[in-house]
Amino acid sequence: MIRVAGVAIALTIVIASFWTADAQGPAARRPAEPAPRLADGTPNLGRVPGEKGVWDVPYIQNMGMRIPGADGRTAAERGPAAPETGGRGGAQAEPDVPFLPWARGIYDYNSRNNSKYDPEGFCLPPGGPRMMATPYPMEFIQQPEQKRIFMVFEGATHIWREIYMDGRAHPQGDALNPTYLGHSIGHWDRDTLVVDVVGFNENTWLDYYGHPHTDLLHVVERFTRPDKRTLHYEALIDDPGAYSKPWTVAWNIPWNVDGELTEYICQENNKYLQKLTDDFGQSVVGR
Amino acid sequence: MRTRLLAAAALVLFLVAAPALAHHSFSAEFDASKPFKLTGVVTKVEWQNPHTVFYLDVTDERTKKVTNWSFEMGSPNGLMRNGWTRNTLKIGDVVSVEGSLARDGSPYGNARAVVLASTGKRLFAASSQTEAQ
Repeated sequence: MIRVAGVAIALTIVIASFWTADAQGPAARRPAEPAPRLADGTPNLGRVPGEKGVWDVPYIQNMGMRIPGADGRTAAERGPAAPETGGRGGAQAEPDVPFLPWARGIYDYNSRNNSKYDPEGFCLPPGGPRMMATPYPMEFIQQPEQKRIFMVFEGATHIWREIYMDGRAHPQGDALNPTYLGHSIGHWDRDTLVVDVVGFNENTWLDYYGHPHTDLLHVVERFTRPDKRTLHYEALIDDPGAYSKPWTVAWNIPWNVDGELTEYICQENNKYLQKLTDDFGQSVVGR
Repeated sequence: MRTRLLAAAALVLFLVAAPALAHHSFSAEFDASKPFKLTGVVTKVEWQNPHTVFYLDVTDERTKKVTNWSFEMGSPNGLMRNGWTRNTLKIGDVVSVEGSLARDGSPYGNARAVVLASTGKRLFAASSQTEAQ
């Protein structure tokens, strides 16, 4: 009898260990490969020679769900995502987002009309952290000898950004012309690429859910590659025009070993914009 | 074992459906609570960005009235990652489409999956409806 119980316990352990391994998925069973490095020892955020690969940027719709709490985890990591069935909670549902009153109002408006006026729906590019939340592949091209890094995005209008690594400062005053992607200067803090961005125009939203920002927006991004197949992204959103204090969002971006960039030219046949009407039923194009 | 199989199936589904592309607001234009399944004959294919659109003559079984529907799918880059080419749908092909209807009541929908009658092959349409957080 004891032997039978022993076998049962052993079986249970074996099954449990299978289950545990299975629950973690195939990726967890494979030992994580270390992040590659360039010849000079800096982390390589891109490919290694002879291999393919792109970062599969996830579709993150609501940055209010991506604020790390005291335990370091975000609401999205703590619980299952709420199904998007039309009704959204608006600013009231996001106590961790320090909205100024007008920002709260416009966010509630965007919630009520299901992001009808999302600039990405007009084929305009994402600005700021939304570049890392718009689900198309992305690659880093590092040029340490030229002291610059490019980020090349397949999607949301086939865009690229240049990060100056040569120690320059942001242009001051009118020399800083507001643009969609802003002015990016970067440096390495040990193995973290820190990018400081200012000079955004006001034609973009922070995310699909419609968190607004102003041209006072200042973003500090931190990119790390804890292992070969993971890019960790963190962004401080500092916009005294829209929020009463800075807030931070963070998420991981998986590496797609077989991925390559393809073409995506959003503007080609945008029927959504052709059909879009304003709140009074008037067409928004051709006016 | 059953759970593992289910988990594996869920993972496969996720992997296949993962490259959902985002362009405009899905829920501003379509109603996820109004699913449809329609079968008809392809009359036109616009293999273009930001959404491939195809048109289908659908015959009402009762009235025999023919309505030309149109369906939005993902962009060519997303569709190609899901196994499509620009010649997957051809004029005259009989296909079944599943997805969500337009909110405005017009004969228009967001296609989530397309089944080709000739082969029974089911293709994911790179729909933006996969709206995870």
